[in-house]
Amino acid sequence: MAVQTDTAAVHRESPAVRWAKENLFSTWYNSLLTLIFGALFVWLGFSVIRWVFFEAEWEIVRVNLTLFMVGRFPREELARVWVSNFLIAGAIGLMAGAAAASAAAAAKEAGLPFTQSTPRNWLQRFWPILLLVVILLQFSQTWTPTVLTLVTIAIGVGARYVGLHLPRAVRRWAWLIVVVMLIGAYGALSWFGGVKWDSWGGLHLTLFVTVAGIVLAFPLGLLLALGRRSSLPLVRMLSVGYIEFIRGVPLITLLLMGIFALGFLLPPGVDPSDVTRLIVAITLFTAAYVAENVRGGLQAVPKGQTEAGQALGLSPWKVMRLIVLPQALRAVIPAMVGQFISLFKDTSLLVVVGIVELLQVSSIANNQPEFLGRGLAEVTLPFVALIYWVGSYTMSRESRRLEKKLGVGER
Amino acid sequence: MTTETKTGSVRPPFWRDVKVLRVVAQLVAGGLAVVLFLYLARNLRTNLTAANIPTDFAFLDQPAGVTVTGSDFKATQPISDIILLGIKNTFALAIVGIPLLTILGTLIGIARLSSNYLVRKAATAYVETLRNIPPLLVIIFTNTAVILSLPAIRDAATPFDLFVISNRFLAIPWATAQDNSGTYLAVLGIGFVASIAVWIWRTRRFDATGAPHHRFLWGTGTFVLFAVVGFFALGRPFTLSRPEVVDGRIIEGGYQTVGPYVAVLLALVIYTASHVAEIVRGSIQAVAKGQTEAANALALSSFQRLRFVVLPQAFRIAIPPLINQYLNFTKNTSLAIAIGYAEITLVVFQAIGNANPAPQLILILMGSYLLFSLSISLLINFLNRRLQLVTN
Amino acid sequence: MIKRLLLLVVVLAMVAAACGGDGAEETTTTTAAEDTGGQVAGDGVLAEVQSRGVLNCGVNNEVFGFGYVDADGNFAGLDIDYCRAVAAAVLGDAEAVEYKALTAQQRFTALQAGEIDVLIRNTTWTASRDGKEGGTFLTTTFYDGQGMMVKTDSGIGSIEDMANTTVCVQSGTTTELNLASRFAAGGLPYTPLTFDSNDELRPAFVADQCDGWTSDKSQLAAFRSQNPDADGGPEAWTILAETFSKEPLGPMVRDGDTQWAQVVDWVVFATIQAEEFGLDSTNVANYSGDNPEILRFLGKEVGDPPTVFDPGLGLPTDFAEQVISQVGNYAEIYNRNVGPDTALGLERGVNELWTRGGLLYPPPYR
Repeated sequence: MAVQTDTAAVHRESPAVRWAKENLFSTWYNSLLTLIFGALFVWLGFSVIRWVFFEAEWEIVRVNLTLFMVGRFPREELARVWVSNFLIAGAIGLMAGAAAASAAAAAKEAGLPFTQSTPRNWLQRFWPILLLVVILLQFSQTWTPTVLTLVTIAIGVGARYVGLHLPRAVRRWAWLIVVVMLIGAYGALSWFGGVKWDSWGGLHLTLFVTVAGIVLAFPLGLLLALGRRSSLPLVRMLSVGYIEFIRGVPLITLLLMGIFALGFLLPPGVDPSDVTRLIVAITLFTAAYVAENVRGGLQAVPKGQTEAGQALGLSPWKVMRLIVLPQALRAVIPAMVGQFISLFKDTSLLVVVGIVELLQVSSIANNQPEFLGRGLAEVTLPFVALIYWVGSYTMSRESRRLEKKLGVGER
Repeated sequence: MTTETKTGSVRPPFWRDVKVLRVVAQLVAGGLAVVLFLYLARNLRTNLTAANIPTDFAFLDQPAGVTVTGSDFKATQPISDIILLGIKNTFALAIVGIPLLTILGTLIGIARLSSNYLVRKAATAYVETLRNIPPLLVIIFTNTAVILSLPAIRDAATPFDLFVISNRFLAIPWATAQDNSGTYLAVLGIGFVASIAVWIWRTRRFDATGAPHHRFLWGTGTFVLFAVVGFFALGRPFTLSRPEVVDGRIIEGGYQTVGPYVAVLLALVIYTASHVAEIVRGSIQAVAKGQTEAANALALSSFQRLRFVVLPQAFRIAIPPLINQYLNFTKNTSLAIAIGYAEITLVVFQAIGNANPAPQLILILMGSYLLFSLSISLLINFLNRRLQLVTN
Repeated sequence: MIKRLLLLVVVLAMVAAACGGDGAEETTTTTAAEDTGGQVAGDGVLAEVQSRGVLNCGVNNEVFGFGYVDADGNFAGLDIDYCRAVAAAVLGDAEAVEYKALTAQQRFTALQAGEIDVLIRNTTWTASRDGKEGGTFLTTTFYDGQGMMVKTDSGIGSIEDMANTTVCVQSGTTTELNLASRFAAGGLPYTPLTFDSNDELRPAFVADQCDGWTSDKSQLAAFRSQNPDADGGPEAWTILAETFSKEPLGPMVRDGDTQWAQVVDWVVFATIQAEEFGLDSTNVANYSGDNPEILRFLGKEVGDPPTVFDPGLGLPTDFAEQVISQVGNYAEIYNRNVGPDTALGLERGVNELWTRGGLLYPPPYR
């Protein structure tokens, strides 16, 4: 009898109520936790909204937006930044398009279903970046940045379309076009009487240092990883020594070395600028971590692969280059994205050695006559934190996505 | 003899002989490393001499000229002393922080797998927010939001008259040693040895007879017995010292620490815990599902399942990545420079600013961190090996 | 085994060879260093700056009034104006300056390494810095002094009341050292709280984490005058009367180039001399008086037969006019950056001409 009424009650419940019963109120302590955490969420949401829309004085960010974005980049040369943005957007779009096209072609050959990513997919993946762009644009005082941002996005979308429909023969060389475009993006900034990277700053410099650090560290890291797995004891010892030394010290010590001691290690008369010194320090640092990631990738390649290569009579170098490395490097991609994220966050340390990155801009803004001594770091620092959060959150989700995708690819 | 020369002639020419090539390759690599090192060292010496900067470590005996937050360091003490103090302070962060972040990270990692929707989401929000912000900012925010919002010292909170909580100093009650405290410590030592003996005895008995060993209960009981009896027999060798605010400026008695220490500790614990939570979650999920099912079949409660079946196995998987996080925590303490807790990096940075030679100081700094890193990885590798022996 | 021994011998030989080369190389470099030390006309910082066409000036970018950056990325402040003055004198163009923002720890290294020609970064002149940092301090551009700021309601009236207090201070500066010696002299126990920047220091002071905030008085005045009403306004904070250290702030150049040092010195003197003469940026271009001293100062023809006075500093004879018309005299520079109408709101005090009882006393220009 009692059992019957119970089942009847269950039948009468709507799915929502059942979900709530299972997920929120399954036991007495779960109900208690639900109440506590519910209250916490409501309170947090309320405080954040009140602070963002009513209490915080955003004037300091509004006035200094350009400083946050590009630091002391000469204002009359800002067109160069936009041109380089266009080129980067074009390169990324082209690469994405070409990659999607090759994936579709490969799937077709293998007779597998392939779904193109839709705008909705993209929105789900990149909403934080879109949100940040909207926030930044609403801070800007003129319409020019909005228009130019829309142009940038249009170029990216257009380039993706082009990439999707490239003839197959051209598609094979798409990477070359992309590389040329990226070099062009750098050239647009600093060639033809442009601005050297010592005068770059803000978010722009942060991104540049991160990308430069990873790109330069990769070859060195690869060498170290191969050295660590070498059969020559001395080479192995040197690689292990370097990797463990670097991984044992914090980045900040290497940055201090870059600023205060690197100049003394070079022959007299050679005197690189601060940004150059720090890129060197960051590269030396990141290489050790890249080496460990690559080593992980190398270990993941089954031994049978090497043996198969040897059985074919390939030289050790060819076995490495044609069989082991391609597989190892593919497996390393997610870890490399992780490395990129942590380097991106670590650029915040450059403030300690006086580089005009985001945190330094926050400090500069708080020492301008109209904002001095008003305690507005409590506005600028969360703004900086938001930029960092958006960047690394989006990348970490992409990294997980890649991990899954590549995991599937490995069968 | 002739056969030997014959096999020798079969060998490939020396430029294709693997054995020779191996030696040559190593010679080249080693030679390059040595040459590079000597080249840099020579440049360093030339440049320092040209810039009139000392190349020795004599500056370590100069007075530091500064005082240090939360210590009775005097400005007349030498730089070597302040560096040792910095190392001590870094150590103080690591030794307290590592257990705390393990506990917090484990709790959040478990919460991410909770059956309660809101708890799960809260844990996810925590992890995804903190993991993606630079730790330097986490330190600044924690200092502002937590430490600076504590009461000023003249209005300090004193719960139970045992603790003092203010944004400047925080204090807990502490034991003050009396004359015979040394004897008491010896008694405690004997008690410890005795409790281990009891532990072994109970274990052996369990092995022999299969009767429940309760070795933890027995062991602790023995120790507590020694501790309590010894304490009263020796006429209270330790007395409790309660912290007290004096003049609304300083604290006397108890064990006290400064606001910046707590700020850095707290910030890095909550930051690193977000990484540890992910490791714990991953490791729990990596424990075979059959284990959970078997535990359920044995009708273990969800707490028992977690405590006795899942977590012990998960932790074995988690140990290598955990070591990395402990090392990261220790290295990240260098960021305390932002809010002025005098750990080793801040102290060295200060010394560089006060006209002391930078290359030597940075060398000392790197050496200290290497010492930390090596000792932590050695310790944990040792633990790791022990734990893995148990499983096999 | 023999192979290993061989290897060892080879490595040792290489080490020995490299060390031998080391010694030989070192002697040659020292002679090279001596060469640059000896002054030859036409090689030195002055010639270098002139051929480069731009002055590399080491500055601060986060101290309001002395060196800061506005929203458009331009530098401004008293120190910045002196960089501009040097550029105007040497190159004839006050805008021909490449600013290099430096942290407190970096500044001397940057000067020693030759990254900058002159360091004008609110740097205090002390004996050990003159002696140990490989640079030379020149004429002071601003006489500051270290002070202590407390909350008005704290009941602290002098440093002597501050036993057992906690004091907030910025790290890497002489301020920290002065604080230690002042409290040690008074026999006052205290706890320092050091911060990397004022952005982190200020909230600590507001939250009463420290009882006192010590810094150069000019900086304290700026933060006091800007204290928002939400935190009690300027009246809630008091700067104690005692100045417990002398903080002469001025330019610094590398050791060993006397000519360049004289150039920078006389640029500073020129701004002060101009104020003494009553010359400023508005009237210097059309000076029509006949005061021979002023005419000589401005590099105009004077005397009989009319000649242009060249003191032989290596500067153009009209450098003073360039400095004053492009940057201004001392009073203009002072009032523009730190004077009573700015956020710092500082009266001239000791930074006044000697004729009005101050410390500014330029040597005669003749």
